[in-house]
Amino acid sequence: MRVRLLRAAILAVFLLAWEGVARAANPLLYVPPSAVLPALRRLLALDSYPDLLPSVLLTLREIAVAYALAIAAGLGCGFALGLNRVIGRAYAPIVGALYAVPAVVWYPSLMLFFGLDAASKIAFGFLLGFFPITLAVLAGIRQVNPHMLAVARAFGARPLTVFVKVMIPAMMFTLVGGLRTGLALSVIGVIVGEILGSKAGMGALINHAYGLFRTADYVALVVVTLVLIVGSDAVAGLVERRAERWSD
Amino acid sequence: MSRDTLRVRLLQIVSVVALLAIWEGVARLGWVDPLFVPAPSAVVGAFGRIGRSALAGLGDTLLKTAVAYVLSVVLGVALGVAIGSVRALREVLSPFVIAVYGMPKILVLPWIVLILGFGTAPAIVYGTIHGLFPILVLVMGGVRDVDRTLVTVARAFGASTWQLYWKVLLPAIVPTVLAGMRLGIVFCLLGVLIVEMFAGVRGMGYVMGSLANGFQAPELFAATALVSAASIAIVLGLDALNDRLSHWRG
Repeated sequence: MRVRLLRAAILAVFLLAWEGVARAANPLLYVPPSAVLPALRRLLALDSYPDLLPSVLLTLREIAVAYALAIAAGLGCGFALGLNRVIGRAYAPIVGALYAVPAVVWYPSLMLFFGLDAASKIAFGFLLGFFPITLAVLAGIRQVNPHMLAVARAFGARPLTVFVKVMIPAMMFTLVGGLRTGLALSVIGVIVGEILGSKAGMGALINHAYGLFRTADYVALVVVTLVLIVGSDAVAGLVERRAERWSD
Repeated sequence: MSRDTLRVRLLQIVSVVALLAIWEGVARLGWVDPLFVPAPSAVVGAFGRIGRSALAGLGDTLLKTAVAYVLSVVLGVALGVAIGSVRALREVLSPFVIAVYGMPKILVLPWIVLILGFGTAPAIVYGTIHGLFPILVLVMGGVRDVDRTLVTVARAFGASTWQLYWKVLLPAIVPTVLAGMRLGIVFCLLGVLIVEMFAGVRGMGYVMGSLANGFQAPELFAATALVSAASIAIVLGLDALNDRLSHWRG
């Protein structure tokens, strides 16, 4: 209880200090918190940006497609690399090395190839989400107790049965964690892509507000985007808990 | 080298060569537009053309990354030890730290650029923000999980607070700090490159952004390969250092 109060107090002091400093220094540049609420109201009333809804939907759609592709490719690659020892030893280090490259180096090439529209954002979100999913599958397969597989086979379980009944439940924990990280990174990929250059979507609105020095609107847009992100993560968290209960 | 290792190496080499050959063939046959996907041979030629400006850009980027990295490690370890070791601070502050850690930093990038302008300062600040939080979160957790008995025994033998931090806590979290350093470098480089692409006037991110805008695909691919190679080399170097240090710790 006291901890909660302290947290709230810190937040309040922080916001008040910000308000004071921003008003004294430059309200346009430092955006006092009191200016954000009216801007948020105008944004949600579709006053400042009438195309807010299509932009939100476009961004969400890009995220959904990027994430779906990342899941499909990540699971596919992960199991292909994890289930075959030679292939795994040959390619897993290459995947690991590519993961060590800051992903944004690929973005200019993707933009060149896919253009400024949704495709380049989807490609970047896919790329970011793909790696953690692949690596989680690899880590999960390594966690499966080989004795369990041997016992299942000894009792005459077919490969598919072993896979579904033994392997998947045993690696569920890691797998679901990787899928959740993958979602977070797909979201970041799409938003980074939109902010680095786009014609539509939340990133385009943010860039527009920033370019025109509409700082309060910019903060309001950031708040809406954050709500989208936190919301998607909360949904993923629910799914994660469900899956973990199921595997127990 | 065992036969298995030999087969793995062979498979690696064969598949990389095959990939390059297919790519070259597809580009030569005109199945993909060379404007967007240049043949590997064209990319090799482009290295010579961008050589000097790309190396200058890479040097600039790596310098900013180095400054951001030092700042992230120093701040991340100091704050992590401070917040992680004091229970009241940890309980009150950790939700804030986790929240900022999880927030996509790109959302504050326009604001940073608005305040700090174009150039070196926003790149260093943004790179530091990127690198700081993973290190901070790891170190906070590492300090919290230090074996309590170590602390109790040191106290019982009359260690001062200074000795407790310097002789017990810090040595105990060395592996965590090393893991954070390994993670942080990629984030710092990522942050610096993003700023250079968004609002750069120099550096590799800027070079790559302008090559993409100018549809100079071979040069862009060469620049991408250069940055990738540099960052893989840095990470492998840190890994080697890490191995040696953990060896030395026993």
